[in-house]
Amino acid sequence: MSDAGAVVAERLTELWRKSRPTILERIASLHSVCDRLSRDPGDQAARNVGREAAHKLSGVLGVFGLPQGSAIASSIEDFFLVPTPPGPEDLSTLRRQIADLDRVIASRPGD
Amino acid sequence: MSRRVLIIDDEEDIREVAALSLETVAGWDVLVAGSGAAGIIKARENHPDAILLDVMMPGMDGPTTFKELRSLPETANIPVILLTAKVQAADQKRFSDLGVVKVMFKPFDPLVLAQEIAATLGWQEI
Repeated sequence: MSDAGAVVAERLTELWRKSRPTILERIASLHSVCDRLSRDPGDQAARNVGREAAHKLSGVLGVFGLPQGSAIASSIEDFFLVPTPPGPEDLSTLRRQIADLDRVIASRPGD
Repeated sequence: MSRRVLIIDDEEDIREVAALSLETVAGWDVLVAGSGAAGIIKARENHPDAILLDVMMPGMDGPTTFKELRSLPETANIPVILLTAKVQAADQKRFSDLGVVKVMFKPFDPLVLAQEIAATLGWQEI
């Protein structure tokens, strides 16, 4: 790795530690949105919150070396762009995707 | 040749990683702003060589910020690259019609972001 590459890698690790709590908050927000949609599939406010959280996760996870996390978050964002209320199977898929995000984040510990 | 690039993005982690990339890999001077309004002020005061502008921001979003920059004589000619995590088909045309230099996508690779910007703008020094 070049000198610049080594410096970037070291600083990225520091920035990941700093950003990780915010990223975890966004994933917690997705869990909460999923719960809200289970109670009320037509809850548009919940969908907007979910879309924003997924969009931000999609943009940021890959820069920290987690491209799979960005891909999952992008798929979750697509879910929220569908205008019709989700059915039970859709919500099951969403829960699985959020659980996948949990695993991806856990694969890069903060310490 | 040293360049000065302004990053406008409401997400602190994106600002920091992009700044790290441009400063460390390319050796450019980097300015950052956390909103469209703050970015316009920094652009007017510092006359950067290019602006990296997030699309989805609360308040003044990227396209609105771009139009404002284009309307001001001191910032009208600064090349602007839009940065977004996702773009729908309708938005792709809207962004192209605006007159931005390019739409780049998040997540970006911190080790190649500067090269992509340099290639887009015809900067030869990297």
